[in-house]
Amino acid sequence: MTMTCDDLDLLLPEFLDGSLTTSQEEQAAVHLATCQQCTIEVNELEGVTKLYKEHGMLELPNEARQRIARALDIES
Amino acid sequence: MQTTKDTTDQPRTVSELFDAFANATYTLGYRILRDSHLAEDVVQETFIKVIRSLPSYRGEGPIAGWIYRIGYREAIAISRRRRDEVTDPESATFATLPARESVEESVMTQDLLARLDAAMAELSEPVRATFTLRDIQGLSTKDVAGVLEISESAVKMRLARAREALRVQLKEYLE
Ligand SMILES: [Zn+2]
Repeated sequence: MTMTCDDLDLLLPEFLDGSLTTSQEEQAAVHLATCQQCTIEVNELEGVTKLYKEHGMLELPNEARQRIARALDIES
Repeated sequence: MQTTKDTTDQPRTVSELFDAFANATYTLGYRILRDSHLAEDVVQETFIKVIRSLPSYRGEGPIAGWIYRIGYREAIAISRRRRDEVTDPESATFATLPARESVEESVMTQDLLARLDAAMAELSEPVRATFTLRDIQGLSTKDVAGVLEISESAVKMRLARAREALRVQLKEYLE
């Protein structure tokens, strides 16, 4: 059975999570090898994760860090 | 002062926990609430609870998940309070973006960070919380489900929704 764009779309949550079954994974790979549209989409979705993994963490501003540490009566 | 160390070498004193999780708790609070002052409140309230509960914490599961769960509940409680108050929509203060890049890169980086921040505004709070824990903090799907007390399939659904919405908004950065 061949996987269509719609089939892959339905499985995207599991696909991106890496939790497809082996046979689903193989079918997805076969589809992606021949479908440029889905390949672009999957690459972009993975790109979103990469962007936020690299740049999404924030630092508690130093002034707040010291104020909170004082309020909690701990050294930081 | 708590000084017990278990075999997995997790930070266990309050100071160690604060050093290890203050930024992560702040990030979770800010990404959910999108207000840096409220995110600071999340950090403070979370650690007040951590200090209170640490003596009875029995080490069920990784300590990170325990702290994230407290932080998430605090963020949601603050969000409810904010919703109940009559608030001035202009009063939200945005996070000071972390100064960690070299000077030459900083203008471009600041612009990108602001775009990443703005793009998340389009997501609902539960979706933002899920995306933050999974994609920014790097927790496993199982651990995110534990923190948010939802099913793993719900985590995957929210995550797919978040990534798709962000993909559309950030297209120019994704080529
Ligand atoms: Zn396709």
